[in-house]
Amino acid sequence: MIFNSEISGQQQHTTSPVVTGGSVIALVYNGGVIVGSDTLCSYGSMAAFKNVQKIVQISQNTIYASSGEYSDFQQVVKELAKIDRSALQYDDGVHPSPKDYGNFLARLSYKKRCKINPLYLQNVIAGFHNKERYLALVDIYGTYLESNFITTGFASYFCKAIISNYWNENCTLEQAKQVIRECFKVLFCRDCRAHDVIQLAYVDEQGTHIEEPERVETKWDFNGFKSRANEKLHTQ
Amino acid sequence: MLKHLYDTDCVTWSPQGKLFQVEYAMEAVKQGSICLGLKSNENVVLCSLKRQPSELAGYQEKQFKIDDHMAIAIAGLTADARVLCKYMRTECLEYKYTYESHHPVGRLVYKVAEKSQHKTQSGAKRPYGVGLLVAGIDPNGVHLFETCPSGNYYEYKCQAIGSRSQAARTYFESWFHLFEKSTLEQLILHGLSAIKKAIMEDEELNEKNVEVGILGKNQKFTHLNAQELRDYIAKLDAFNPNSQIQQE
Repeated sequence: MIFNSEISGQQQHTTSPVVTGGSVIALVYNGGVIVGSDTLCSYGSMAAFKNVQKIVQISQNTIYASSGEYSDFQQVVKELAKIDRSALQYDDGVHPSPKDYGNFLARLSYKKRCKINPLYLQNVIAGFHNKERYLALVDIYGTYLESNFITTGFASYFCKAIISNYWNENCTLEQAKQVIRECFKVLFCRDCRAHDVIQLAYVDEQGTHIEEPERVETKWDFNGFKSRANEKLHTQ
Repeated sequence: MLKHLYDTDCVTWSPQGKLFQVEYAMEAVKQGSICLGLKSNENVVLCSLKRQPSELAGYQEKQFKIDDHMAIAIAGLTADARVLCKYMRTECLEYKYTYESHHPVGRLVYKVAEKSQHKTQSGAKRPYGVGLLVAGIDPNGVHLFETCPSGNYYEYKCQAIGSRSQAARTYFESWFHLFEKSTLEQLILHGLSAIKKAIMEDEELNEKNVEVGILGKNQKFTHLNAQELRDYIAKLDAFNPNSQIQQE
């Protein structure tokens, strides 16, 4: 019995994702890198899983988050954890730097893309190594880009203006957090697959810190909404 | 005499707990011409004596670059060395392709040792007949390793292998405490002085039969060219390690 679907020819290629995570926003700040994402996994248009942690610590000084197919996210986490564990096997105290993880993921994504069976993800790797901040995007095709700020999904459309106006690469941690919160407020208002509970995580010289999920403040008690409920229906 | 009963293949132990085939392979290393390595906090230097099979022939190269940050010096069967050299170069290229960074030195030496050990545990294989001195620099620091046909590997501050290497090791034992803080020039002169101890009485060092390779934290692996070698050899007579102590 051949169970390996590649041999039996029955392997399906990921053409569309099933359970998806929303946007990820990552910024560099003075002393580290911060990543934010919401805690929702959507099943199509249904907000199915509302308390999902989508930012993960890969090593002592690296964190990983992604938007897209959640099962691919889980698989990537396993693959990256394998690398970190190899240091244990070789017993030589060598730990990959965040850049090593970023490049590895780029190679992996590219390989899968070449087989027309991609990891349906926009990946973000953030880290702090040798006193330097590291932030990179690896997309579904295996494109690798290092940058001071990264946005995936709808955040790329809605949030770049906010980031341009309120953030710079030497801002404080608090300022960066506020920018990300503001971005997710806008996303919750405009992106149908977004959620108002977000999670922030940052890496600095001391290591990685993943915070508890928090709800962004949004305002819905507008008069227009209230009075609309009492609006007279139009009749002929 | 009893040796001959237990030395047919790698899969036979002797009653004394020895694998004679592996030990014979180590002899092959001792027959190769001398090569040595020494390191400071910033640099590693490899020096080797090249042999010329006949007057008509060229000199056999003993040092090979594996990657920008790593090089080996060989003693023993050159053909076996080529195989290991190719393996190491391929591993470094693959690592660089995947991670965009240099292969950690210790890890590559470990891989070579694994490969070597594998050859000592099979009825149909023979051990590699070559010892390598691996010089490399990675985020963990400056390294000098020795690998053996047995599959063992060791990290050293300085080491010499091959023919008459004991003379060089004796020189090292006297002066290795100075190496850590030595400048590159002092390191090279120490290396050449050590090689000088190991040559025959009627031989002399010149730019043709000596090979010197250097690696530094900000310096990719390079060989000294003929003119540089001549200059350093000329400085040998005047070189006095004692003066280095007075400096410190």
